[in-house]
Amino acid sequence: MKTVTLLIAWIWITVPLGWGIYQSVQKSLPLFGIEPAAAAPLPAK
Amino acid sequence: MSFLSREATVAKPGFNRWFVPPAAIAVHMCIGQVYSFSVFKKPLALLGGSWSEANVGVAYSIALVMLGLSAALFGKWVEHSGPRKTMLASAACFCGGLLIAALAVKLKLLWLLYVGYGLVGGVGLGLGYIAPVSTLMKWFPDRPGMATGMAIMGFGGGALIGGPLAQELMKSYGGADAAGPQMAMIIMAGLYAVSMLFGAAIVRVPAPGWKPDGWQPHAAHGLPEGTVSVSVDTAWKTPQFWLLWVVLCMNVSAGIGILGQASPMIQDMFKVTPAAAAGFVGLLSIANLAGRFLWSSASDLTGRKGIYCVYFLLGAALYAMVPWTQGKGSVLLFVAVTTVIISMYGGGFATVPAYLRDLFGSYQVGAIHGRLITAWSMAAVIGPQLVDRISEAKKAAGVPPEQAYNSTFYLMVGLLTLGLIANLLVRPVDAKYHLKDSDPA
Repeated sequence: MKTVTLLIAWIWITVPLGWGIYQSVQKSLPLFGIEPAAAAPLPAK
Repeated sequence: MSFLSREATVAKPGFNRWFVPPAAIAVHMCIGQVYSFSVFKKPLALLGGSWSEANVGVAYSIALVMLGLSAALFGKWVEHSGPRKTMLASAACFCGGLLIAALAVKLKLLWLLYVGYGLVGGVGLGLGYIAPVSTLMKWFPDRPGMATGMAIMGFGGGALIGGPLAQELMKSYGGADAAGPQMAMIIMAGLYAVSMLFGAAIVRVPAPGWKPDGWQPHAAHGLPEGTVSVSVDTAWKTPQFWLLWVVLCMNVSAGIGILGQASPMIQDMFKVTPAAAAGFVGLLSIANLAGRFLWSSASDLTGRKGIYCVYFLLGAALYAMVPWTQGKGSVLLFVAVTTVIISMYGGGFATVPAYLRDLFGSYQVGAIHGRLITAWSMAAVIGPQLVDRISEAKKAAGVPPEQAYNSTFYLMVGLLTLGLIANLLVRPVDAKYHLKDSDPA
């Protein structure tokens, strides 16, 4: 039980941090002449 | 004994100390949002009137100054109240500040933005910055550098999350008009409150006398570890405190100067596109984040004084190399060199609490750290101003834009040399400053 709680605690922080790092990597791609993956278009409102 | 009191957070026997890093990072990755405040500048400038980009940016400067001041003023209260109450106060101020900022946008009152995001939010930054760091150091006396590196890495990560999150929210709620930033601030306040309260709920302090299994304090500075205890009121009267103040101020000034100007700098020096320049900024953010953890962890092996010598010597050598990379026309070399420089800037931030602990003990290290952070506030003003003014003056004097930054780089070498000298002068704190058994705790 304690291990599961500990795992949840670490997931709580690694998911947003991982998302932030992914966003920065995407942003840095043009520096190396690589096109970042195109974001999916937003649905029409 | 209330749920918020320090006593209520004392860990029971068998508590796993690896619960504490997520608690600390959960707070730091929220307040680190301050680094990405610039994403609000353009949308808020569209409100017109006095809402120019420069005026909106003042809220960021106020927040950073308040970070330093509140950390210095409330440091003793933080040590006395314990991490849970402090994290809760930090969440109330930081998230409350965001909500006031949203109201300021709705009412188009610039002064209210300064009060909300700058003053109230800034107090939240100061409280939230020092409490988790000092708690982690108490849990990891065997690896204090790694412990502070983890927390302060979270602060760097906050910028990586806060920027894109705000942009996505603004895009979803009205784009560039006032509704976008306003809704973004409200939703972010809610998300950050949940994360910070999660941190406050799971944080614990070690019981008095606790130490990791199998770990034996080793002799440092000729004294057994744990015997050096200097109070905050005494610490700032020692030369060591002010030498470290100079060390931090020089390290931060040198790094922040490049960070603040990274995009125009690479465009001027190498004629890259704005998209590639934004990519350079993204890369520096990752280097800043990684450096906080890696360099600070390395300091557990090399010692704090040794690692700062590396930051200053290697940093100065790399800064001196930057004009050469421009002369060679090599973007790749420039990126490699600046990436290492910024990683050491992050490392300098993350290592300093452990350096304080080595010198003054862990008794009131959070409060001492709070007072030292005023060096960061000072550097946040000096660094960008130096780079801005010198490069602008050079351009005005007819120096080609690609060479306008060279003097700045040599100035950074000078700042880092000053930092190196201050670091080399650091000696163990004289025993006359140590807390005696008869002193009131």
